[in-house]
Amino acid sequence: MDAHFLAPQPTPLSAPFWEGTRTGELRLQQCDDCGGWRWTPQILCTHCYSPHFGWEAASGRGKIYSFTTVHRPPVPTFIAPYVVAVVELDEGPLMLTRIVDVSPETVAIDMRVKVKLTPLDETITLYPFTAD
Amino acid sequence: MNGARDIAIVGIGVTAQSRGSGRSAISLLMESIGLALDDAGLSMRDVDGYIGFTFPAGNGQGMSDGNVARQFGQPMTLVAETSGAQAVLLAGAAIRAGLAEVVVIPAGGSQSPGIEMATYTRPTYEFTEWTGSMTPAQFALIARRHMHEFGTTSEQLAAVAAAAHRHGRLNPEAVAFGRPPLDADTILAARMIADPFTQPMCSLVNDGASCIVVTSAERARDCRNAPVWLLGGAFETRSNSYFEAPSLGMMESRPRMIDGFARAGVVHDDVDIVMCYDHFAHGPIIQFETLGFCAPGEGGDYVPMAMQVDGAHPGSLDGGNLAYSHNGVPYNFKPIEIVRQFRGDTPDLCPGWREGIHTYDRNLCRKVRDPRLAIGCAPMTDGRHGFAILAKD
Repeated sequence: MDAHFLAPQPTPLSAPFWEGTRTGELRLQQCDDCGGWRWTPQILCTHCYSPHFGWEAASGRGKIYSFTTVHRPPVPTFIAPYVVAVVELDEGPLMLTRIVDVSPETVAIDMRVKVKLTPLDETITLYPFTAD
Repeated sequence: MNGARDIAIVGIGVTAQSRGSGRSAISLLMESIGLALDDAGLSMRDVDGYIGFTFPAGNGQGMSDGNVARQFGQPMTLVAETSGAQAVLLAGAAIRAGLAEVVVIPAGGSQSPGIEMATYTRPTYEFTEWTGSMTPAQFALIARRHMHEFGTTSEQLAAVAAAAHRHGRLNPEAVAFGRPPLDADTILAARMIADPFTQPMCSLVNDGASCIVVTSAERARDCRNAPVWLLGGAFETRSNSYFEAPSLGMMESRPRMIDGFARAGVVHDDVDIVMCYDHFAHGPIIQFETLGFCAPGEGGDYVPMAMQVDGAHPGSLDGGNLAYSHNGVPYNFKPIEIVRQFRGDTPDLCPGWREGIHTYDRNLCRKVRDPRLAIGCAPMTDGRHGFAILAKD
């Protein structure tokens, strides 16, 4: 991840997620009542509306739902080409991310991937995925 | 909405759509409001409703509903935040409920450096920005998934873009007017932006504004131009574009969309014009499928022919977002182009178009023959998806 951009700004709701990536876990919210997983961070369970949840370590694994190779980046500080993907996590939610350490030509839908936690700076660790 | 002819579009206004106008969004918006009211034979004094993503804020007091009333110098009885087909539907419902009588729907923006940016297309969000996915990549992810599930091809995307560009090359008001023609092969070979989208498959970036005026049948009688009736439609918002992972979720709205036709008493085969939201080349394909004009997966084969000016359901007739204008909020252009086609007010290369004389020579003319029923679409995203059904007498 050699790109430079405005670093993610955690919110009170999302802070446990970023704490997780910094300490080696890809965490998702899991509902205390129905057990449902959700991504992105939300106040209520998106399955049963319960306000009770925990930030639980997810498997960090999934398969590619879709991907695109970006040849012309939105701002010049992103170094193209790079692969943006939606990963269908094994827990169910779709997650927007990057695919790294894989030649763009070999990326395919349904390919198995796993998270590769990658420090950006002292507080933020990003969560691109790579081949599993 | 039951197909009753009690709500009408009575005015439209379009400023110049151009790159680098040097103007602020607000000056463009206010100009479009004046043009649309003049077209309707109404004045600022008649307006009591305002629907738009951008509120007048040229006095430095911010974009609030109160400031809208202040700018108009009179009470507003309806101020709401949306645009295009959804705004027309909302205006109709509000007028029918007695909440307002004359609703203006201005939209647009200015990308000029140092003036303003359509910042909502590039939100700062902790889980999006770092991925470098703004903005073509967001939609390339949807197109790629559609290709995977249904076998849609890059050639079919190029054919959709070619149809839009062909229409746009006939429209002197189009931002891309005068540029070299683009056929499907040229589009496929163009510079790749975010696979599978090459540059001509992506929206323009330009300045400009537009406005629609909606009122009751009663008020429409006194207006300058013939009314264009709002027969109904449907709308759905499922998710938050640019924040959530892009998916084909919007295709699940197909039953609701088809029900919108049934409630208005309209059958698909009778629709003369389908102005899809063509932000990227996959848009019309998924929209035709989701609205029920063809089955899911058939759009790639069907749409490139159907959307041509002599096709089964012509669309992108002004050149669309790809060749006419993407001014930040181009939603209004879908209903506006329908009104212009109904009136025969379609600038093109026909020598007599200003007098309503159309040649129907497709090297010159982009006017559909005698359209009477049309649908104008909202953006084809999980964020906003739907359509309004419009008819002329």
